[in-house]
Amino acid sequence: MSPPTHPPPPRSGITKFTNCLVLRGNSLVRDDIWISSVTGKIVDAQSAFYDSLVVPDTAIDLGGRIVSPGFIDCQLNGAFGFNFSTLTDDYADRLRELNKKLIKTGVTSYLPTLTSQTSELYKKVLPHLSPSGTTTTTTTTTTPRNPLNGAESLGAHAEGPFLNPLRNGVHNPSALRTARSFTDLEDVYGAENLRPTTTTPAETGKMMNVVPPTVRMITLAPEVGGMMRVIPKLVRRGIVVSMGHSEASYEQAKEAVGKGVRMVTHLLNAMRGMQQREPGILGVLGAGPYFGLVCDGVHLHPATVKLAWNIHPEGLILVTDAMHVLGLPDGRYPWTNGEGEHWIVKKGRVLELEGTGSIAGSSSSLVECIETFLRHSGAPLPLALRAVTATPAAMLGLQGVKGTLDPGADADLVVLSFSESEEEEQVVNKVENAEEGTKSAAAETTPGNTVTTPNADGHEQKKQRGPDLVVEEVWKFGVRVYRREE
Amino acid sequence: MRFIIRDDPTAASAHVANYIVDRINRFSPTPKHPFALGLPTGSTPLGVYQILVEKYKAGEVSFENVVTFNMDEYIGIPRHHPESYHTFMWKHLFSHINIHPRNVHILNGNAPDLAAECTEYEAKIRAAGGIELFLAGMGEDGHIAFNEPGSSLASHNCIKALSHSTVLANSRFFGGDSASVPRTALTVGVQTVLNAREVVVLVLGPRKALALQRCLEGGVNHMWTLSALQLHPNAMIVCDEDATLELQVKTVKYFKEIEKLAQDHDSHHPLRTTTNPPKNAMSTATTPALTTSPTNTSPEDAPDRGSTSDEHYYTYNARTTDLDTFMAHFTQEASEPRWVPDPDPNTNSDSDLDLADDDDFVPDSMSSRIIGDPNPLRRATPSSPGEGQDDDDDVDDEMMQGVAEVSVVEGTLMRPVEVSRGRGLM
Repeated sequence: MSPPTHPPPPRSGITKFTNCLVLRGNSLVRDDIWISSVTGKIVDAQSAFYDSLVVPDTAIDLGGRIVSPGFIDCQLNGAFGFNFSTLTDDYADRLRELNKKLIKTGVTSYLPTLTSQTSELYKKVLPHLSPSGTTTTTTTTTTPRNPLNGAESLGAHAEGPFLNPLRNGVHNPSALRTARSFTDLEDVYGAENLRPTTTTPAETGKMMNVVPPTVRMITLAPEVGGMMRVIPKLVRRGIVVSMGHSEASYEQAKEAVGKGVRMVTHLLNAMRGMQQREPGILGVLGAGPYFGLVCDGVHLHPATVKLAWNIHPEGLILVTDAMHVLGLPDGRYPWTNGEGEHWIVKKGRVLELEGTGSIAGSSSSLVECIETFLRHSGAPLPLALRAVTATPAAMLGLQGVKGTLDPGADADLVVLSFSESEEEEQVVNKVENAEEGTKSAAAETTPGNTVTTPNADGHEQKKQRGPDLVVEEVWKFGVRVYRREE
Repeated sequence: MRFIIRDDPTAASAHVANYIVDRINRFSPTPKHPFALGLPTGSTPLGVYQILVEKYKAGEVSFENVVTFNMDEYIGIPRHHPESYHTFMWKHLFSHINIHPRNVHILNGNAPDLAAECTEYEAKIRAAGGIELFLAGMGEDGHIAFNEPGSSLASHNCIKALSHSTVLANSRFFGGDSASVPRTALTVGVQTVLNAREVVVLVLGPRKALALQRCLEGGVNHMWTLSALQLHPNAMIVCDEDATLELQVKTVKYFKEIEKLAQDHDSHHPLRTTTNPPKNAMSTATTPALTTSPTNTSPEDAPDRGSTSDEHYYTYNARTTDLDTFMAHFTQEASEPRWVPDPDPNTNSDSDLDLADDDDFVPDSMSSRIIGDPNPLRRATPSSPGEGQDDDDDVDDEMMQGVAEVSVVEGTLMRPVEVSRGRGLM
C-alpha cells in the first residue's frame, strides 16, 4: 500500500518568525511574528489562523535574536558617495543604488535630506525624492512597494534654506533665504512639491489615496522673517515643521510650537545653548516637540546625550545627519554646498569641513548611533530602538504604518543580534581628567578592545568595547532583502 | 476509573501531557484517520499545553493529523477578545504547534443561530469519528466544561448561563470586574464528554479539593457534574497532592497502590491503542450503570453510607454507559484477569480465585448482601490493615461525626452509630 499523497498546501506568502525577542511597546517580548510578502504587511496571526485558515509557508527560528521594526532615519544627506543635494546626470540611477545599499544598514525608510540649495536645484532634485512606498505614478520610482528597490523614501527633508544666517553650520550662507509669505516657500521648493495629492486607485474606483507632499519635512528658523505666519500653512498640508539652525529665544520657540512646530532638528547643534534666564529652544523640550539627536560620539558630549534623554525620552529621535561619505574609507572628499568646491576630511567618525574646523555632518550609520546612544544615555535597548522606529514614525504621522510590529503595519523589519560588554564606557573621564600621555598609555594597554579616534578638538577619544549591535537580516515589505554573511 | 496523584501541579501536568503524547503517537493518526482530541481552557491545562508545545518543538509529537474540539466559548465576545477561548487556545497552544486551522474546532459564540451552532458542532465531532480523548479540567463547584451545577448529565452541546460562582472565579481574567464577564457560554454537554472514548481530567490545587471529593467519593449527582465521569468506562483523573485534601486517606492510599500495581502491569503489557477494539467489548457487560451498591470494607461502615448509596469508589470494574462504541485503554487493562473477573456472573473463572487469593484484594464482605448480585467476588476491595471482616465497632470515618442514625441495608437493621464513638471532633 502506497502512502497517501497530499497535494502541497497553497502558498500563503506568510513567513513566521519564532524564537525571537520582538519589540512591542517599551519592551522586548518573546513572541512570534507573522509577515506577508503578498500584502507586504505584518499579519494578525490569530485571525489569519481562525478566520482565513492559513498557515505560514515557512517558519524561521531566529535563535533568540531581536526583531525590531525597520529603522527610520529622518536626516540623511547622502551615503556611499552619493549626495542628495548634488545634481548629476545619473541622479536617479545613483539614488536607486544608494537605496539598495542603505537598506543593508537596517534603514528601511528615510527622509532624504537636502541642505540649503538654490531654487533651481530643489525643483530638479525634489521630484526624485518623493515618497516611494505609496502608490503614486511618478516617473522616478519604478514599481511602488517593490522590496527589491531597497530603502524607501518617506519624502524629502528640506533642511533650509529658511535658516538663521547666524547658525548656518556648513550651509552656504548665500543660499539662505528669508520668507515673508507662503509664496516665498513655493517659489523656492516648487509649489507642486508642497502639495499633497490624492489618487484614485483603479482597482477600487472610490477609495481616495492621499499621497503626502514630496517635501515631508522642513527645517527652518521660526524667528526669521514671516515664518510664524507660514508654519500653520505648512502644517495644514501635512508637512512636518522642525526648528533648527535657529537663534530662537525661549519665547519664540514656544510660539513656534504653538503654531504647529513638531520637531527640533539636531538638538543643541546649530542653536543657542541653555542659559539661566534664556533657556532658548531647549526650554520647550518636554512641552511637545520631538527632537533629533546626532549621537555619533562627535556632535554631542555624552553627558549632553544623557541630559537630553532624561529631559524628554519619549521625544528623542536618533538621526545620523550622515553625509555622502558614510560607508566610504577615510580620506578627503569633494563636497559642494552650492557655492564653489569644498573638501570634507573624513577621519574615523569625524567629518570636518577643510579649513574651517566645523563639523560637517556625520559618517556614522544609524546602528552605530544606537550603540553610541546606549553607551552615553544608559537607556535600555528597547527604548533606544524606539528612538529610531516608533518615535520617528509618530513624529511623521506614520504610527501604525511604520516603526511598529503591530498587525497591519508595513512588514519592514530588522533582525539584530545584541551583546553587551561588561566594561563601562570610560570616555568622559579619560578625556576630561587624564593627561595626554596617560590616555595614550591607556589606549595602548588594551589594544584589542579599543578604537582610538581623534575628536573634533584633536584630543584622543577612547572607545571601549560597548554594546554591540549587529544587523543580521533586513526584511522589506515581507521579503528578505539582506542577510549578513557569516 | 483511574485516579493518579502526583506531588505537585507540574508533575501532574507532565503526566497528562506525556499521556496525551503517548496516545497520539500510538494512535498513529493519518489524514483519513485523525486523532480527535477534546480540549479545555482555564488555568488548569496551562502546564499541559506548555509541555505539549515543548514536546512538539523537541519533535516528540506532531499535530499534523490531530483534530481538536474545544469544550466551550463565551457568547457575545469577539474571537480576538483577549479573554476569548479562541485567543486562549491560540496563545497557549495553537500558535506554537503544527496544527492546521481547518482541524481546529471551537464553538462560535457569535453564531447567528446558537442552537444550530451546537447541533453542527456535534455533527462535526461525529464526522471526525468521535473524540478519542477528551482532556478536561474541573471547576471549584465540580463543573465540567460550562456544565454548571444542576446541568443535565445527559446533555449534549448547549447554551449555558454561567453560575454566579463561575462568573466570580472568571472575573480574575477580566480585570477583576465580574460585570464584564459574559453571562452565557456555549459548551459541550456532559454526555458529549462522556461520549469520548477516553476522558482525562486534570485537577490542581486545594481549591478543587472539595469538588474532587464529591466527584470521586460521592455519588453521581448533577450538582457536581464531573461526578458523571463515574459512568465512563475509561476515565482518568490526575491531580496534585493539594487537590486530595478532602479525600479520605484510604481513598488516596488505595489509588496510589492501584497505580503502583498498574505500572508493574504496564511494564509487561504495553498500552494498546484503541484503533482495533477486541471482540469482547465492554458492551457485553451487564452491570447497569447506576445501580451501584455500597461496597464497603466492613459492615460498620454501612450505616451512614448505605442509604445514600454513594460509595462505590472501591469497585474497580468498568461499567457500561449507553455507549457501545468505546473500547479504550483501561478497559482492556481491566480485562486483565488480575482484578477484573469475567463480567458474566455465571462463569467464575480461575481469575476470580486469583483475585480472592491476592493479599491486596479481598472479597467485599458486604457484597454478599446485595440482592441480585450473585457474584460477590466482582466487588473486590483493597484490604486494609486492621480492618478485618469481623472487625469491631471502630468508627474511623470523620464523616460519621454528628451522625447517629439507623440505616437499613437490604432490610437488615444495622446498629446505630453513636456520635460519641467518633474519634473526637474534627
